[in-house]
Amino acid sequence: MDFKLTEEQELIRDNMREFARTYVDPIAVEIDENSRYPEEVIKKLADGGWMGMPFPAEFGGAGVDYLTYAIAVEELSRSCAATGFTMSVHTGLACGPIALFGNEEQKKKYLTPMAKGEHLGAFALTEPGAGTDVGAATSTAVLDGDEYVLNGVKTFTSNGPVANTYVTFAWTDKNDKRNGMSAFIVPREAPGLSVGEHFMKMGIRASQTSEIIFKDCRIPKENLLGKVGDGMKIAMNSFDHGRIGIAAQAVGIAQAALDESISYSKQRVQFGKPISRNQAIQWMIADMYTDITAGRFLYYYAASLKDQGLPFSKEAAMAKVFCAEMCSKHASKAVQIHGGYGYCKGQKVERLMRDAKITEIYEGTSEAQRMVIAGNVLR
Amino acid sequence: MPNIVCCFKWVVDEAYIKPSSAGKIDLEWAEHKLSDYDRNAIEAGVQLQEEYGGTVTAVTVASSEATKGIKDALSRGPEKAFFINDEQFENLEPVQTSAILAQVISQQIDYDLIICGEGSSDMYSQQVGPRLAEKLGIPCIALVKKLEIKDNRLIAERKTDEGIEVVSAPLPALVTVLPDINNPRVPGLKDTLAASKKPVVDVSLEDLAAEYPALMVLEDMRAASLVRNCTRFGSGPEDIQAFVEAVNKTGIIDRG
Repeated sequence: MDFKLTEEQELIRDNMREFARTYVDPIAVEIDENSRYPEEVIKKLADGGWMGMPFPAEFGGAGVDYLTYAIAVEELSRSCAATGFTMSVHTGLACGPIALFGNEEQKKKYLTPMAKGEHLGAFALTEPGAGTDVGAATSTAVLDGDEYVLNGVKTFTSNGPVANTYVTFAWTDKNDKRNGMSAFIVPREAPGLSVGEHFMKMGIRASQTSEIIFKDCRIPKENLLGKVGDGMKIAMNSFDHGRIGIAAQAVGIAQAALDESISYSKQRVQFGKPISRNQAIQWMIADMYTDITAGRFLYYYAASLKDQGLPFSKEAAMAKVFCAEMCSKHASKAVQIHGGYGYCKGQKVERLMRDAKITEIYEGTSEAQRMVIAGNVLR
Repeated sequence: MPNIVCCFKWVVDEAYIKPSSAGKIDLEWAEHKLSDYDRNAIEAGVQLQEEYGGTVTAVTVASSEATKGIKDALSRGPEKAFFINDEQFENLEPVQTSAILAQVISQQIDYDLIICGEGSSDMYSQQVGPRLAEKLGIPCIALVKKLEIKDNRLIAERKTDEGIEVVSAPLPALVTVLPDINNPRVPGLKDTLAASKKPVVDVSLEDLAAEYPALMVLEDMRAASLVRNCTRFGSGPEDIQAFVEAVNKTGIIDRG
């Protein structure tokens, strides 16, 4: 165990850092303020081969391991958590289930343009009455000849307004709570699909979130993902993958909070000396650095288990809850270090603190992660 | 179709240079990076190749540990690299680096144009390019901000203190480029993956069969220290006197 990335992984990390500095830093404030989808950056990510990192080259991906992908999410999120999340939800939650559960035809037709970054993906599971309680969903899918007819309202769909391809879930048998839900691939142009309300969020404002409404939405029956009744399994599996990406995103936000805190505390002079010479500040910085390092190794560990084909559900949940909570804590500390300036628009830490909170909520709340961990440990 | 050689240096990333408690420079945990202006040199080579065809070869003289630097350079576009390496090739002087480069380039590489960065981001001596041209006996155009090739001649815009100078020289020639010349592209994921598969010619000190003694020996290197102090002054006449005294006391101004 040498805790060392390969030269290639380091270079990919450095290149993503360079990419983020060159193309994302200059627009990060503006896209946050205007809640604007950074289409031009997503296009550049696609051109650089970053939108389908862990998928096989034959389906448009780059064929790198999941760890390398997660590291890239961290580096991108360090500049802009919303852009990092757009890439992460597309890769982990939309491309991921198609790559794992899709058949050859589906991978050719849907995964390939997604992994190339020509199409953006979204994951439409949550409903107004069904968040952590996935089973409370009410959307239905009825087979009618050669087509499934979907009805229901999905909410908080990340990438919803800008996606070309949706992975969604609906009951094919409402009476079977265990195996009655199925997963589907729905193209944007499917008749009966519409984008509902756009949500204005506290943080990750450049990430686009909306309702997705299925009203007698017709899709070919070939768009069933996996088998009839696989829905719940596919949803949970997707979350396991997605959570590694969110943990990485949280580490990226926390790292940015640390970067800002180090440079500010060395420059800010009070009582005749830089505030970094005060033990109170030093301890905050020491705790940040320690938690970031611990969090980073937690998600590295989860990703490396996945890359070795070993079970990683518990470890992904551990990484997600730890990284999210330390991220929120330290983003708040970073504002504290910046004092009044940190509370004002224009300081990066103000955005970081707003962005951090969501990592404790989406792709399974911190409470849901603890349910997964406890369920594994107490088994 | 020109054969272009881009020289680069794998340097300590200045972001990691920290003074140790003893006032020395602690480089034990320092990361390395491609020297800043050498990125411009490689980009200039790749852009010329996109316009005129030909080949781009990256060359470095480095410590044997600089394998990541080779991959980094190759991910930026060159199709081949020469890795002239030895454990002793750390902290070489410009006279050594240029002599080693001259030997390998003249013996092993068919070249029309050599592009170097204006200076390295660690030592910034700005000597390797001009010395290399001298050793190879080819024209050298330094501090170039624009470059084109016409009728087997190089036409370059140089940025000097006096203004912009447009000069031309027959190929083969060497140029050193300023950061103004281009914005180096950021390697994509596939560029990095492809870099590992590109050919690298490994040249060792034994292969060179020559000695490159240093003319100067580094005896010691210490960190410069900066102590920040904050003193407040008012704007009355007595405050100005106090300000003058404070400045004199710190020795900031040398009164000769």
